Amino acid sequence: MVLIIKDIINGDTAVSTDDGDVVYQEIVAIIKQGEMVELDFSGINIMTTAFLNAAIGQLYSTFTSEQLNSLLKLVNVAVDDRILFKKVIERAKEYFQNKKGFEDSANRAIYGS
Amino acid sequence: MEVNLNSSIHSDFEGYSHLIKLYHEAKASNEKNINFSFCYTKWFEANLSAVLGAIFELLQDEGKNVFVSSIKPVIKDVLKRNCFMGEFGETIRPDSKNTIVSYKKFNPAADDAFKNYIKTELLSKPDFPKHSPLLGKKINESIFELYENARTHGRCKQIHTCGQYYPNKIPKRLDITIVDMGKTIKANVNEFLNENYTGAEAIGWALKYGHTTKTGNISGGLGLDIIQEFIKHNNGKIQIISSDGYWEFRKGETKMMLFDNLFPGTIANLEFNLDDPNIYQLKEEISLDDIF
Repeated sequence: MVLIIKDIINGDTAVSTDDGDVVYQEIVAIIKQGEMVELDFSGINIMTTAFLNAAIGQLYSTFTSEQLNSLLKLVNVAVDDRILFKKVIERAKEYFQNKKGFEDSANRAIYGS
Repeated sequence: MEVNLNSSIHSDFEGYSHLIKLYHEAKASNEKNINFSFCYTKWFEANLSAVLGAIFELLQDEGKNVFVSSIKPVIKDVLKRNCFMGEFGETIRPDSKNTIVSYKKFNPAADDAFKNYIKTELLSKPDFPKHSPLLGKKINESIFELYENARTHGRCKQIHTCGQYYPNKIPKRLDITIVDMGKTIKANVNEFLNENYTGAEAIGWALKYGHTTKTGNISGGLGLDIIQEFIKHNNGKIQIISSDGYWEFRKGETKMMLFDNLFPGTIANLEFNLDDPNIYQLKEEISLDDIF
């Protein structure tokens, strides 16, 4: 299924965490039905890591890299915006790895296992 | 009670320190009516209207009535054009000189209002200020990252913003100031790390890549790093003031200082160099295949 970002956020400025979260919810709903998602960024003029952390980075809380590479496709991303995706994805991987490590340590400290 | 603003107030450590000191003087007064007198003031950087507006909000929340007086015509003209004088019932003027990013207050819950503000004040004015399209895009990205940071971390009632274009400075520059009166960076960082950093140390920590006080499913720690990287290439300036901390990055150097008085919120001022000769070219081709 194709998700057109500018239609979801109702504009060409993908900058807020709130808008990113709406996109995230739509992606998750489709992937959970076992369908592929094509995320179309045509017509988006300005984007921030705040938006992408919520829309894309948050996916790592639920899915693995392998799942995302096979189920999610990014299209019509402006060439100069691609670096933001790369940074957000790298950061999300680090964040969820650290979060898991932190939660595992906390569990060990609390439950002794 | 009357408090007097200095003769010259710039977006620098002394300027912020002075405004914070005036806030504490006014707050400590037993009098209900506080008059901020500009009688000695010959220069007031208009983007600092955001700081003044935030201070006035704090005083009004504490039950004070705030007034301004004795503003010299040249300063008043700017404060009318940037809509700040509208707060005191005065008629605002159209920005005939095209050097203004209006003073405005935002409810942090309504993100669309800020988008519309930036569209009206910056994006829809192609000649204001003159710069390459990619530089303009990166400036706007930085402003939105900063605003989103204030919304997410400050959790305050209102965010105050104002900007000013200085076409006669060399290089030409654009200052944008965003002020939130929510939880300070010092409080957020010290609570998260269980540390006892000074305000300046806490700001320094928060600005490093990957550092965030977020704990939910949305990762952070990128926005301020991206702004800093861009400002470095642009030869601009970032100043962040929160609690007792002052943190500045300019010309590749970081300056950290402490104020005598605490600022009960966060001021962020971004200064962009509009004569930036850099062509923001891509260093690497990034494929979207297998990007995850």
